[in-house]
Formats: sequence, C-alpha cells, structure tokens
Amino acid sequence: MLLLKLIQSFFKTLHSEGTPGQVAAGLVLGSILGLTPFLSLHNVVVVGLIVILNVSIPGAMLGWALCIPAGFLLDPLFDAIGRGLLLGAPALRPLWTALYNAPVAPLSGFNNTVVLGSLVSSLALGVPLFFAARWGVTRYRATVAERLKRSALYRAVTASKLYNLYRLFRPEP
Amino acid sequence: MRVFRWKAIVPLVLLGAVGAGLWLLFADRIAQHTTESVGTTLIGARVEIDRLHLDVPHGRVEIRGLTVASPFEALRNLLQADLLVADLEPLPLLEKKVVIDRLAATGLRFGTPRLTDGRTAEQSDGLKGQITKWGEQLRVPALQLATGKVSVAQLDPTQLNTPRLATALAGRADSARQAWEAGLTGLGTEAALDSGARMVERLKGAKLTDVKLLGDARRTLEQLKRAQERVTALERSVTSGISALQADAAGLTDAKQRDYAIARGLLKLPGLDAPDIGAALFGSAAVDRFQRALYWVQLGRRYMPPGLLPRATPGPRRIRRAGTTVHFPRVNEAPAFLLKTAELSLSVASRTYAARVSGVTSDPTLYGRPAQASGTAPGFRLAALLDHVRPTPRDTAAASLVGVALPSLPLPSLPMHLEPGAGTVGLSFAMQGDQLRARFGREHGVTRDEDEAQKIVADVIVDRLGKLGLGALLFRLELVTQLRVLPIEHGTSSQHVDRPALGDGHQPGAGVVRHARLRPLLQRRDERVLREILGQTDVAHDARESGDQFRGLDSPDCVDRAVGVGSRGRHGFQSHHDHASRQARR
Repeated sequence: MLLLKLIQSFFKTLHSEGTPGQVAAGLVLGSILGLTPFLSLHNVVVVGLIVILNVSIPGAMLGWALCIPAGFLLDPLFDAIGRGLLLGAPALRPLWTALYNAPVAPLSGFNNTVVLGSLVSSLALGVPLFFAARWGVTRYRATVAERLKRSALYRAVTASKLYNLYRLFRPEP
Repeated sequence: MRVFRWKAIVPLVLLGAVGAGLWLLFADRIAQHTTESVGTTLIGARVEIDRLHLDVPHGRVEIRGLTVASPFEALRNLLQADLLVADLEPLPLLEKKVVIDRLAATGLRFGTPRLTDGRTAEQSDGLKGQITKWGEQLRVPALQLATGKVSVAQLDPTQLNTPRLATALAGRADSARQAWEAGLTGLGTEAALDSGARMVERLKGAKLTDVKLLGDARRTLEQLKRAQERVTALERSVTSGISALQADAAGLTDAKQRDYAIARGLLKLPGLDAPDIGAALFGSAAVDRFQRALYWVQLGRRYMPPGLLPRATPGPRRIRRAGTTVHFPRVNEAPAFLLKTAELSLSVASRTYAARVSGVTSDPTLYGRPAQASGTAPGFRLAALLDHVRPTPRDTAAASLVGVALPSLPLPSLPMHLEPGAGTVGLSFAMQGDQLRARFGREHGVTRDEDEAQKIVADVIVDRLGKLGLGALLFRLELVTQLRVLPIEHGTSSQHVDRPALGDGHQPGAGVVRHARLRPLLQRRDERVLREILGQTDVAHDARESGDQFRGLDSPDCVDRAVGVGSRGRHGFQSHHDHASRQARR
C-alpha cells in the first residue's frame, strides 16, 4: 500500500500543474524534512515554507517520503559531519557559542550532531537536488510522460483491483 | 508566477493554532515524560512521576508523586516525594535553559520498598560498572576462623622458640641463683660483725693509752671494710644478673609472638589483631558506603563539570540516532541548569527533618559557587559540598546518624554472630581531584569522649583514582577497631594465649558474640576457643553482665593507630568540612 501510495504520489507530482521549479523546490524542502530529525524547530519553519511558498506540496510530500529512509541510513554520516562542525572546527566555536546563548536558537537543537549534520547536509544537497529535479521533471514531461501514460505498467497499476480498492478507501482530495 | 501562496496563510495560522492547542493539551505529559527520561538517565535508576503540571503564566512546575528508584538496590526507592513545587525563571527557557529559583519539596520519604527493579540496565563500562570494579579492587581481608586442626605432625614443638629460650633462661637463672648463694655464703660477714661487736664492748672500758687495743680496733675496722666491699660486689653482681634475666624474660614475649604466628598459620587463622577483625567484619559495609558516595560524586562530576569548554553529552532518545549534544557555556550567561535553592521538609516517625540544597548547576564555573547540601534532624546531620568552580573539583560529604541498630554480623566459618547493638554511624568522604579519602565509622555505647567510644572505623585512602578503576591504583585500606567480644564457651580447657593489652575494664561494652546452639555451654563458663583467639582471658560470659565485668580487646598499637588514622581522616575531612562551613557562612 505504501509503495502504491508512493507511486501515485510520484506520478501525481510529475503530472501536476506546477512548474518543474515548483516541483523541484517542493522536493528539496521535503527532503529537508526527511533527512533531518522530524521533531525539530527548523522543521516547523520548513513546513511553514512548504505551505506558504508556492511550491509543489505533492513534491514536498514525495521528497519527505523518499528521504526518511535515506535519513536513517545516513545518520552515522550526519553524526560525523555534525561532530566535525561542532567540536572539530575551532573557528566555528564563537558562532555556536553565540547561538547557544541566544534566545530561541537552542530550541532548534542545532547543537546536536545529528541535527546539525543532517540539516547542513540537506541544505548542501538542496541546491544540486533542486537543479537536478527541475531538469528531470522538465525532461520527463517533454519525453516520457505521454509514453508512460500509455505504457502497460502504468495502465496495469492504475487498472489493478488493489489500486481501485485503495482509491475507494483513500479517494483523491 | 506568484512566489507566495497567500491562500495558505489562514490554514497555516490555523495549523499553528492547532499546534499550540495540542501543546497546551500535551505539554504536561511531554514535560513529564522528558523529566522522567532525563532523570532516569542522570541517576541511573527509574524516575517516575504521577503528575506534572506546567503553570506557564506563573513560571511554576508542580510535580506530584515523584518516585526515584535506588540505583543500588533492586526493590527499594531512593526517595519518594508527595509534592515538588519549582519556581522557574521564564526568560532562560527561551534559551533552553532551566533556572529554578526555589524548589520546595514536601512529603519526602527515603528507602521505601518498591515492587519492581528500578535500576536501569547499564553496560559494564558505565559509571556503575566502573565503581563496582573499583570496589572490587578494595580487597577486604576475609575472616577465616579455625578451619584447621593442630596435630603433632603439624605442630613440631622443637620448632618453637619459646620452650627453648625459656629452658635456657631457667638454666641461667638457676646458675645465677647458685652463684649468688655461694657468694652469700662466702661473704663471711657474720665473723666480721661478731668481731666488730666484741671490739665495741672492749672499747667501752678501754684507756686511751692502750696501744694494743687501738691496733686491734684498727684491724677490726679493716676487716669490716673488706666485708662491706664483698657485700657491695655481690650486690652489683646480683643486680646485673637480674637485669640480664629480665631482658631474657622480655625476649620470651617476642618468641611467644613468633610461636603464636606459627600456630595460627597451622590453624589457618587470620591475623587476629583488632584492625584485621574490623576490616574483615566491617570492611565490606564500609566499601559499600564508599561506593555509593563515590557514585554520587562521580555523577556530580559528570553532569557538573568545571570549566567553560564545550561539553558533549549524549543526545536525546529518539527513533533516529541520538547523536551528541554539545553545550557551549559562556561567561555572564545563565547555566543550562541551575537550582538556586531547594528547601526540603519531611517527617518520618514523628521526627522532623529539614534539608537545604543550593547551587546545583550544570555549569559551576558560570555560577561561581559550589553546590551545597545540608540536613538536620534529631540525631542526624548531613553536610555536603561539591566545589567544581575551580579546575580541580573538590567534593566533600559527611553524615552521622545516632541510635542506629547496627546489624548482626555473622562470623564466617563459625555458627556465631556479632551483635554490636545500637550506636552511631558516621561517614565522611573527601575527594579532591583524583585523590579520595573516605571514612566510615560505627560507634556504640554511651559516648562521652573518644576514649569511651567503641569504634569500628574504616579509612580508605586512595592515592590515585585515575579514571575510576582504570589504570593502576595505589590503594590502602585501613580499618581500626576496638571490638569488645565476649568469649564463647568451649569444651576445651582454658588455654591462655598472649593477649594484647586489656582496655579499661570499667568501660561499658556492647560487642557480643553469641552462639545459638552452644548457649548451654556458654553458661558453663568454660574458656572458649574464641577467647583464646581474641586474646581475652578476663572477660564476662554473658551479654547480660554489666560492662565493667569484662574487659575489651585493646591492641597495644590500636590506640596509636586509631589516633593516627582518626587524625588523618579527621584532618582530611576537617579541612574540607571547615571549608564547607566557611562556604556555607558566606
């Protein structure tokens, strides 16, 4: 069911009315949600951005869903990156000290190695991911979309009883 | 293309409102869970809260039904509190810092039983594991009593020094006596005295011109003078001979000690000096107390470290990896956690206890004052000071409790137990840097001064603690004791052994060794093996006898050692204690 939902979300995103840039921006913001620990203050900001900015919400949902497992897998790497930034970079220590003793900022948990490492990594990945996603969506819509709609797999998935059952209980909004 | 989705503003605000509403609904529960989780992590035992209420407008937190399990005992709580009320400063909360102005606790209870094991599972390399290993390195000598038998094959009388030396001494004494008797016989003093007496009679009616009589008188005087010289020479000879014999007799004492050591070795007996007995009987209890004190001190050092360098702590528990949370203290900023003052009041068994804690903080250097704790109650005193303000932390604590029924202590290998009775239990603990000095003492009997107290004192001096059991430890355990132990009746005949100097027989006694199965034998008042072991020959035979009917064991060097150890321990603590008092008066 989750796989079907992902596939549905993926195609809905690709075929949505949003521009490739909006879809890519949604993917990037969603990836931040997925790659970083969810219950963090910065994710409130990210959710707010997803809602208030004119980005693709299905794209954000897709980015979030795809990046959650990636976040779990990459946690050791994030931990190492965060440790290096917080403890292994003396030049950054004044910045962290100032943030740590500033109002609100400590509530973000930036001084946790996994939070900081994953946030920095997702932000760093965000730029190439944005351009790659925008290029991919553009290329997809130009070349693959119509052919895929006519493909046996697409028709098989959308025509399957399981898919219809899923739509019966979870109709599209 | 529009950048903002203005239509979403309202739903976003609604979402925020819903979030705020959910927070209001679940904030208490979240804070309760967080407090339980953090407390459990800090203490190493389960912390449970019945209800926690955040009164945000008034900056107040109320905790009802707090239970903290003991990290040392499976089915016992460290403490329970009916109500805790904490007044928080609101602004530091924005910096994720908790500053408690005042904490009031009521309905405190200590050591209550619990149904489940509240200790948290910890890896062996954790703090508790390290302290357990540390305690295991404090080798407490085992008390092994009379586990062997004396047989002719084991105990060769020809190897004993005492009979040989005593025989030789007796021979020399006999020779000397004979020589002195011969010398006394050969003095000839009676003839000289008779001659002198006769000369005196002759001189009474003599004329001054009787030259012959004067010559006789001169000769008689010469005779008397020679007799006096012979007596003087004999006296010198006897005096020197007696001195030599006395020295030889004194040498017998050393020989007897050596022989007893040989005999004890054959019997597999322990060193039965009082300090050894104290170490064997009370060393484990002392080490257990020291371990607990050390555990709390190490927790304090872990969570209240000195200095302002960034400090890494384990991250919060979550599904994702916890990571490491790094704290960046800065001068003139609030500590991450600070409990300025806590007033604790409780009543236990009609006794009113009052305790005060102050200056508990995660950043002592920022706060600039050491953490202090003090408690008083009838018969109870507690004082502790954790000074982590300076780079080298200093931790001291002392507590005493009077009227404690000291537990019965079984004597290994023997169906007996020691009943010290009620007394005073005292513990002092001082740790500066990696040097530890701890003292655990039990006194029983009516104590008026140190001489009257019967003490069982354990002193531990660890010269280098390292990282709690990691690396070599230079360790010295000293236990000083003045145990008073009644003899146990035994079927064997009385056999005196050389004993340490007896204490003042008029001192009250409380130490009693009882033997359940042999009580009828006790009433026969036979000399017992234990009496011989303990070197007592003049002791009472029943615990009901008054204290002045028996004399306690008082090792000749016990006083010196006790004073030495006591003074070391006392001075070691006193200085810290004075410091604590000075700090408290500030």
